Amino acid sequence: MTNPYEVLGVKEGSSKEEIKKAYRNLAKKYHPDQYGTNPLKDLAEEKMRELNEAYDYLMKNSSETYNNYSSSTNNNYNYKNNSSTDFNSIRMDIQQGNINSAEMKLKQMKIRNAEWNYLMGVVFIRKGWYDSAQNYIQMACNLDPSNGEYRNALNQFGTRNNTYRQAYRTGNYRRDPDMCNLCINLWCLDTFCECMGGDCI
Amino acid sequence: MFGYVIPCKMELKVKDYEKFKAYYCGLCVSIKKNFGNIPRLTLNYDMTFLAILIDSLSDNRSKFIKSTCIAHAVKKRVIIIDNEALDYAAFCNILLSYYKLLDDKNDDKNFKSILFSKVISIFTKKIPKDLEEIKQLIESKLKDLSLLEASKNTVSIDEYAHPFAELTGIIMSHYPKTMQYKNQLYWLGYNLGKWIYIIDAWDDLEKDMKENKFNPINKFYNTSNKNYLDFKLEIEDRIDFILTTCAEQCFTSLNKLQIKKNDELLYNILQFGLMEKMDIVFKRSELDYDKPL
Repeated sequence: MTNPYEVLGVKEGSSKEEIKKAYRNLAKKYHPDQYGTNPLKDLAEEKMRELNEAYDYLMKNSSETYNNYSSSTNNNYNYKNNSSTDFNSIRMDIQQGNINSAEMKLKQMKIRNAEWNYLMGVVFIRKGWYDSAQNYIQMACNLDPSNGEYRNALNQFGTRNNTYRQAYRTGNYRRDPDMCNLCINLWCLDTFCECMGGDCI
Repeated sequence: MFGYVIPCKMELKVKDYEKFKAYYCGLCVSIKKNFGNIPRLTLNYDMTFLAILIDSLSDNRSKFIKSTCIAHAVKKRVIIIDNEALDYAAFCNILLSYYKLLDDKNDDKNFKSILFSKVISIFTKKIPKDLEEIKQLIESKLKDLSLLEASKNTVSIDEYAHPFAELTGIIMSHYPKTMQYKNQLYWLGYNLGKWIYIIDAWDDLEKDMKENKFNPINKFYNTSNKNYLDFKLEIEDRIDFILTTCAEQCFTSLNKLQIKKNDELLYNILQFGLMEKMDIVFKRSELDYDKPL
């Protein structure tokens, strides 16, 4: 049998709540009823069977001790007060490359402020989901226009792409330095020379 | 789906052009050696790129021979033989072509796809046992993709591209001899696969809209159901952004690998080739050629 953790997309040691949530999301996606007469309905049914098997297995075997249960309720109570601690732990996760954990923590949070949007964007960049990432970071900038970190991240998209494109444009067309470039360079050179006491032009 | 990852021919040095052709012909011969003559029809440039990339991470010397080609019988061609990277690429070539044909068969139900897929299925039985795991992974990702595309729900463009991107990531990173580069190769493959999926969707957008077939770009972005021309103006920049970001990431990943040979050829493909293809597909290029190399 395939790894039940992989089928549901959760990591080992996830709480029952996380497993249930993952199952619900995937069941929504793959439920055979939404396929109607589509020939892929059989495939969807097979996938649902896989999901159900994995869910049953994990529900039976997840080491659900008293401690786990109480700590998850603790988390729910504390999140309102400790959102900044949560954000810090998420940032740590991102730094250590623990993207799945960061994403799961973000999805569980109820407050969706500017920082939440920014961190979602960063997580999505690491996943390679650039369109969604840009949307989140744009939202973060909209919610908090004065924040340099968010603005920087948004600009970085454009800068990286432009640098990459430049190589293609200049490598390909090999234009002679245009007149603008030439004149400005000469003017700067002359100005510097005069500053130093000499004169170029 | 195939034929998007090509070198920028005009910027290639002659030696790199000849090397590319040698790998391309070598791939054809490898398919014949490992699978048979008929599957050679599925030969494409993208798998050639895969072969070049993974071969360039090892410093074994390539074996070149001069031989006649079945399709170009006039002049002798230089071909690389006895190359494990080419054998691996041949294997991936057959598998992907087979699944693509299955997909076409399900979509279009035309006779050609049905016949060809039956023929190719015979050859998929010849897959070596140690590559069986990759076959299962490819199957599973393609299944996920079909389900996602057939579902009535709409998801983000990133999510639509995800299964195919994962698939190419897996193919790029599972070559047994390059395990130390697994992560960088996976990231390169992931971004390249996403680039291929989205540019293919963009290329087919007009046709799919006309024939009312599924297209992820149409499904996700065209919320006010505009016609092709209006929609294209609205969404062009965004698609260009995603494609450029993916291509840039591919190129950055390439820089992180320890390339032992063919470096200029690889840089050409990932730095110029991808951009040139984008220009052609976005009809920004004065050249409208699509002749084979």
